[in-house]
Amino acid sequence: MPRVVFHKHDQVFGDDVAENSNLVVRAGIRKFPFPHLTYGCGMGKCGKCACQVLAGGDDLPAPNWKETKRLGQRIDGGFRLMCQLWITHDIELSQDDALNAAATGQI
Amino acid sequence: MPELMDPITFRTALENAIKGKSANKSPFSIAWADGRLSRAHLARWAENHYHYVGPFAEYLAYVYARLPAHMTEAKDFMLSNMYEEEIGGDRHTDLLIRFAESCGTTGARVKDPDNMSPTTRGLQSWCYAVAMREDPIVAIAGLVVGLESQVPSIYRRQTPTLREKYKFTDEEVEFFDLHIVSDEIHGERGYQIVLAHADTPDLQQRCLKICEVGAQMRLLYTTALYHDYVEADLPLRDLDIAA
Repeated sequence: MPRVVFHKHDQVFGDDVAENSNLVVRAGIRKFPFPHLTYGCGMGKCGKCACQVLAGGDDLPAPNWKETKRLGQRIDGGFRLMCQLWITHDIELSQDDALNAAATGQI
Repeated sequence: MPELMDPITFRTALENAIKGKSANKSPFSIAWADGRLSRAHLARWAENHYHYVGPFAEYLAYVYARLPAHMTEAKDFMLSNMYEEEIGGDRHTDLLIRFAESCGTTGARVKDPDNMSPTTRGLQSWCYAVAMREDPIVAIAGLVVGLESQVPSIYRRQTPTLREKYKFTDEEVEFFDLHIVSDEIHGERGYQIVLAHADTPDLQQRCLKICEVGAQMRLLYTTALYHDYVEADLPLRDLDIAA
């Protein structure tokens, strides 16, 4: 089972998830990374679930058209939309809500 | 007399109840996946599908109102599903209309209830009846587990085809993309509620039965779409299936 390590607000959380888990789907049913993972629309539009991939990014598929459209140049900094990813390998992520809000013009 | 199943056994039983009559097996779905439908066929699908999925938040609202107050998490899950369906991001039916327009029909035609087939009207009515009349846990099993949770597997199969064989753009098929994610969340919430609250053998059996009936209703609907709009152009013998 893939191991997910999740950094938020200077804290680190971790748990194993079933292969092919979508972290937004899991948070939607109140399983880890709930309540730490912030998400919104679940459809690749709002950008609230964006996370920076700290490790394990090489095992992810290339960003899809929604991630490219929503994240733009942030992709080069290792950002991905969690609602668009199904996790198959160990991964380490960091999420900063203030950064996401600034990047999507929500503040 | 059936015994009370543990959650893992019960979930497997629910999945099997749905699988037996999956809409993936309908001639319409097979023709779709094989790239054999025309844009006009897909337009008729959209004009019907709107009247089935358009009121989904309304179906859930009836169930939400009838869930006992102490089932707080179940009520919250239902409310989240309703919110996400309508105003969490883009309204899902707006994206369906965008797809319909790319198939050559109009938003006005899609919204006009006179353009749905009698079978679609039957499916919509069944959804309302279940929402209003069944035990709320059984209703969630039928509507969310039996119907909504099927959607990711259907669209995973159909969406690549829409891009590769039918040559739709990413924006035109966004309705299908979002459902792969959002219906997975919604379906999982349905499973969580049913697994937690169907706590007697009788309730479990009723949940299994309604999943089976819900899957039959969806299969009936998609099969009727084939007979009403496609068969004249694409007979069964040309589809390599026996229906």
